[in-house]
Amino acid sequence: MIEWYNQILKQLVVLQYQLNSYISSTIRSLNDENMYQTSFLILGIAFLYGLIHAAGPGHGKALVALYFTSNKSNYKKAFKMGYMISVTHAISALVFTFGIFYILKTMFRRNFTEMSMIAMQISAVMIICVGLYLMYNGYQSKKVKEKTLQKQTKSEYIVALSAGIVPCPGVMTIVLFCIVLKQYTLGVLAAITMSIGMGLTISVAGILSILLNKKTSSLLDSKGYILEIIGGVLILVLGLFLFTSVGHK
Amino acid sequence: MKILISFILLFNILYAHPHTFIEVYPTISVKNNTTQKINFVWKLDEMTSSMLIMEFDTNMDGKFDTKELSYIEENYFRALNDYNFYTDITIKSKIQKFPNPKNFNAFIENNKLCYSFDIDPKLNVQNTLFDFGDTDFFIAMILKKEFITITGSEALVSDLDNDFYFGYRLEFK
Repeated sequence: MIEWYNQILKQLVVLQYQLNSYISSTIRSLNDENMYQTSFLILGIAFLYGLIHAAGPGHGKALVALYFTSNKSNYKKAFKMGYMISVTHAISALVFTFGIFYILKTMFRRNFTEMSMIAMQISAVMIICVGLYLMYNGYQSKKVKEKTLQKQTKSEYIVALSAGIVPCPGVMTIVLFCIVLKQYTLGVLAAITMSIGMGLTISVAGILSILLNKKTSSLLDSKGYILEIIGGVLILVLGLFLFTSVGHK
Repeated sequence: MKILISFILLFNILYAHPHTFIEVYPTISVKNNTTQKINFVWKLDEMTSSMLIMEFDTNMDGKFDTKELSYIEENYFRALNDYNFYTDITIKSKIQKFPNPKNFNAFIENNKLCYSFDIDPKLNVQNTLFDFGDTDFFIAMILKKEFITITGSEALVSDLDNDFYFGYRLEFK
């Protein structure tokens, strides 16, 4: 299992390394003559890069997987969640990158790191809240045996915001690279297409978790709230893990 | 217990993915099974390089002067000591503290930021391994056979089975 996982990690790293190198050389090769053709090529690579980048380890997928494993949902919602996260991710990356670049042109990297740490801490606190909320919800389900749809939708938005608020350094790097080369529009479009790719991968993680939930729910039958409480505890632990590891750095 | 360990592992492996790629170019000379010279050149990916060069090359002349070099070394390079410079040297199956790097230099080559440094050379190649990788998995260290320049011995490159992050191993034949 571990050997198999290590091989996947290797392929993901090698592919990202190649795409990273390809995307930067392609952006550099942009000129007036090949503008449209090359721009479309860059956006295509950015989409692929996002797809593969999100397939690597990341706390967003852990959160989505835990949420959908422990909560009854459908595939449409998994897609919605995946794209809510990726849209938040893209907006956050664009705001951070353009904001820091224009407000503090020097010391970019240092500020970028500090800002990322703050965003990561905010995200961790939000994840802890989601965990506590799910545990409470699970406990209430046990008592009431019925939840309102409104409550679940609200928690989905919180999950999406918690996972997406941390700007993806991968997206930020591409945006900044485009800014440095004065390709501003391309930078924004590349961030969007990369996020679409990431959203697709995160949605797949959500769908797989829903499948798992369907199997386990039928096993647990009327004791579905147990899964919800366990999911809440695990999300809480994930949040605490993120918070302490950011604090440690 | 097995479930608990699985979840701890899950959180570790789900935590990070690489955003910076560093190509490692080792130059090693060996005599009588002992290393005489060990130099590493790290070439950072172009996108990360553009970000760092923007900060480092304050007079924007495309190279680093003494003042800029000492800024890079003090503020960025030496900080990597906390990460063992992403390199584990294993001697007789025991991981060593990475030796204090010497002769640090930074330069720009083909739009890439490069770091060059030497380490204390007296190592017995028969029981020494170099493992390159970042345990946090934010950095991916890339080593290929063609990146290695070696005299007096032969080097082998293999995948590093770290379970939770990916790396490369350099060993001597």
